[in-house]
Order: sequence, then C-alpha cells, then structure tokens
Amino acid sequence: MNIINVHQLHKQFKVSKHRRGMWGAVRNLVSQDYQLVEAVDHIDFQIGPGELVGYLGPNGAGKSTTIKMLAGLLVPTGGILEVNGRVPWRERQAHVAEIGAVFGQRTTLWWDLPVIESLALLKHIYKIPEARFQHNLAEFTDMLALAPFLNTPVRSLSLGQRMRADICAALLHEPKILFLDEPTIGLDVVAKERIRQFIKQVNQARGVTVILTTHDLQDVEKLCERVMIIDRGRLLFDGQLKSLRDRFGGRREMIVDFTESYPDVAVEGAQLIAHDGVRATYQFERDELTASTLIGRISSRYRIRDLTVRETEIEETIRRIYEKGLLES
Amino acid sequence: MRHSFELYHRLLSVQLRSQLQYRFSFLLEMFSTAFVVLLEFASIALVFERFGHIKGWSLGEVAFLYGLVETAFGLMDMVFSGFDPQRFGQSVRRGTFDQLLLRPINITAQVMGSDFALRRLGKIALGIGILAYALALNPITWTLGKILYLPVVVASNILFFGGLFVVGATITFWTVESIEVINILTYGGSFVISYPMHIYQQWMRHFFTYLVPAIFLTYFPALYFLDKPDPLHFPAYAPFLSPAAGLLVWAASMAFWHFGLKHYQSTGT
Repeated sequence: MNIINVHQLHKQFKVSKHRRGMWGAVRNLVSQDYQLVEAVDHIDFQIGPGELVGYLGPNGAGKSTTIKMLAGLLVPTGGILEVNGRVPWRERQAHVAEIGAVFGQRTTLWWDLPVIESLALLKHIYKIPEARFQHNLAEFTDMLALAPFLNTPVRSLSLGQRMRADICAALLHEPKILFLDEPTIGLDVVAKERIRQFIKQVNQARGVTVILTTHDLQDVEKLCERVMIIDRGRLLFDGQLKSLRDRFGGRREMIVDFTESYPDVAVEGAQLIAHDGVRATYQFERDELTASTLIGRISSRYRIRDLTVRETEIEETIRRIYEKGLLES
Repeated sequence: MRHSFELYHRLLSVQLRSQLQYRFSFLLEMFSTAFVVLLEFASIALVFERFGHIKGWSLGEVAFLYGLVETAFGLMDMVFSGFDPQRFGQSVRRGTFDQLLLRPINITAQVMGSDFALRRLGKIALGIGILAYALALNPITWTLGKILYLPVVVASNILFFGGLFVVGATITFWTVESIEVINILTYGGSFVISYPMHIYQQWMRHFFTYLVPAIFLTYFPALYFLDKPDPLHFPAYAPFLSPAAGLLVWAASMAFWHFGLKHYQSTGT
C-alpha cells in the first residue's frame, strides 16, 4: 500500500509576458499576453510508507511545485494525486494534520516568541495530547540538542538552531510524512551532520516517510536509498541511488604512482588527464573498460608502486544527467 | 469551529505580547497615528471657522460623523489588521501565507489571528474624543432607540470596512502592484463617508449608494441621531439599513475571499 500515489500529475502555470517601457506598462494594464509553462509535466511515482526519498533537480525544475502539490498548497492542473489516501487540496485541513513540512529558509515558528512557547502553541493547533507532546518534546530536544535555546526568542536563533527548532516543530504531531525542502542549506558541517543524523533516526525509529529536496548531494549520499531526479518538469530518473551511479556513473578515475618517472605513460582506452613526475591520472569509461584491464595494460609497460580508483561523485553524475539529458535518448 | 475560535484567541495573545516587546516603537506609532487624525480634524475645524457650516451641517454635526467613522475604522483596522492589504500582500509574496495553509485550522481565523494592531488604540481614542467633542458642541436628544442603535452602527461599520480590507487582501492574490488602488477604496472610502454625503456630486453619491452601499452605514444613521431631515428623500427606514449594508458587504467579501483562495491554490503565485 503506497502512502503517496502520483499518476500523470501535471501543473501548468500562466506566465504573463511583461512588455517593456512606459508604453508597454500601459498596455500591460489593458491586456496581458500569457505563456503557458508546464512546471510539472505528467509525472508518475509511488512512495511506500517509511521510504526516505531524495528529490533532486536544478532550480526551476519543478521540485517545489511538486512538493507544494503534495502538501496541499497547490491544486494540480491534472492527473491523480493521493497522499495518505486523500486528495490533498480537497481536504486541506485533514491532510495537513498528518504531514509535517519544513520549507527551506522560512520558519513556521513565531518570530518574537521563545521556541518553547511556539511549540506549545503548535500543541494546541494540532490538538496533540499533553502526554504525547511532552514525550515527543523530550525526545526531540535530546536528539536535536534544543535545550540550550528553548527559551530564546526565535528571532535571536542562529540559522542552524532555527532549522533544528523548525524540524522539531514539524514532527511534534507525529506526521506520517515529512517534507523537507533544503533542510541543510546555509549550515556548517557540524550542523548539517546533526540534522542528517536526526532525519535518519526519525525515518528508521518512527517509520516516518521522508521526502527531501536538497542541493547538497552529501545529504543524498548519506540519507537516501532512492532518488528521483526532475528537470524541466519531467522525471528523468527514479530508482536506487546505487543504480543511478552504476548506470550513469560514467567516467572513473585511476590515479597511479609509478616506481620511476616515465616520459610518456599513455595507454589505449584511457585518457591521461594529468601526469606529474611519478604520478599519473587516467580517466576511463565504466562500460568500456574494467579497472583490472586498465591495470593490466599499464603494468605491462610500466612498474606500478601504488594506485587508487575514484568513483565519479554523485554530484558529477547528476550534473551529467542534467546537461546531456542522458535519459531522453 | 470552536477550535478555530479558541486558537484565534491564542494567536491574538501571542500578537499582543510580541507587540509589547517593542514598547518604544509601539508608543511612537500609537501617537503618530493619533496625531494624523488630530491634524486632519483640525483642518476641517478651520474650514468651519471660516464658513460656519457646510450645506446645512454645523461643525458639531460633521464632527459626530467624523468621530463615528474614525472610531469604527480604527477598531476595524485593529481587529482586521491581518487582512490589511499591504501586509497581507507581503505575506503572500514572501510565502508566509503558505505556512498558514500548512496548519490544520481554518485559514480565515489564522489570517485574523496573524496580526492585531494594538497601536490603532491611538486612532480609536482620538475618534472617541472627537465624538465627545461633537456631543459637547451639539447635544443629541437621546432616546432608548438611539442608545441601542449606536453600537450597532459602529459594529456595522467595522464589518463594512473589514469587508473592504478582505477584498483588498484578496486582490493581492492576483496582483501586488495595485495596492495603491486598493488603498483608495479603503482609506479613501473612509475619508469620503466622514463627510455628509449630500455635499458630493450625484455620480459619486450614486457610486457609494448602489455600488458600495457606504451611504447607509454612517450618513443615514447620522441623520437619525442628529434628528436632521433627509435632503436626498430616501425612505424613512434608510437610517436602519446600516447592519444590512454591513452584513451584505461582509458576506460578499467572504465569497470573494474564498474564490481568491481557490485561485491562489491553482496558480501558486
């Protein structure tokens, strides 16, 4: 039984073409020309309960539009959209009671209130029973290390503190699904790591389904088994992170240290991209050449002292997918 | 419904507490808005000093109308400041309105609870002051009917202006550039009905009678309170249409608001 069911979902926006200049401004008042933009272009996916899915794509690809539809903030132009067995926008109040959402740089907390009072207000808004509230609050305070700033007004928190408080706020009512839009943006390494740990724990211990959009591919590598990639409104990839790497990992690198300095270390099938003294770096296509064949070719001519093989970074992989539209062919 | 109402109160108390954290700016704003009202009224009083009366209305009578509108508008501005088009338009643009949609409570109650401009107390106090001054200049012969009807007129005006605020806020779903046009409707509207309606040109009076029924909200009731004849020859029950006009505008604005919400959710601007 899927918790999110999306079929041929699409969302069209009317974008008005603004005319330039003084005369254009006057004409804009009278009539406007519209251009239809397909922000989300007939996408299909299902997400099961307890999954932790990374939803990736460049700016303007349709990520937030999808999330906003899933969260019930936007009405789709067409297609099927069911979350928790409901059509989100049709039953907004019932729907949002069962989801949690953290939208990037916006806070859901009250700016001038101490964190703890904001959370207490949410207790009333979501009608969380006192015992559940206290239990969850204690647990999240501990996991997210909120204690030092529970009594600080939200306006005085650092970005990392605020994000932790916001994530806590999104989970107090025990939602079945958590939408996280750029939860680590602008944070330092330690803060990022803490948030990742927490997301993982909440997903595993509480079985919360998590949908995560991010620009930080470390988030994806550390958290998500499944990734969906969207670009220009179309779903380019939906599958395991591992198979993404296998299929589109593309070029790998081999760094070789020789026992002595050779003038020319070129070998067939691999591209020599750096050669400095005893160290040489080769690039080769994953599906054309195995690492062992390459090692064989090199070692038949030169004496190798040491070597390492580097997989392509996931970042590189995804960039290649965007750039070349690899999947479109 | 009861849950929304209870939460509205909680949200309000949050608002009040955060406003009182900035005591200095609160006091400053309170006095400055009151001062603007005082200046405006002083300029009217100066005109009367020169001419004695405007089309049969004395200063005391105009002051009654003026004080009534100021008080009601101030109260409305305080209660409905969440719908203040300027402020609301900003929250739509910045995406904070989306945050409200993410909470499982009635959206209207949340917008109402998102601000409560306590600083309008200055304006309200001055409105009441002007009313008192009006009564001193031109004592009203009070009857039980008049005493009971006065708060009804104030409440109807609050609903009426609140409706205009809601309409203005809703328009910002489509465009935030036309805030000025909306302000003409709300602030301009309150300015127009602060004066006896029969001083205006016919087309303008018709606009505020048939299109926006503002004339029933204060002008006709004022005739009743001040025991003045109706130069426009409307039926004798015209002064008592104030609540009907207020409710009508409010209901229309709520319908428009819900239409706007649907539009917003399908355009995502």
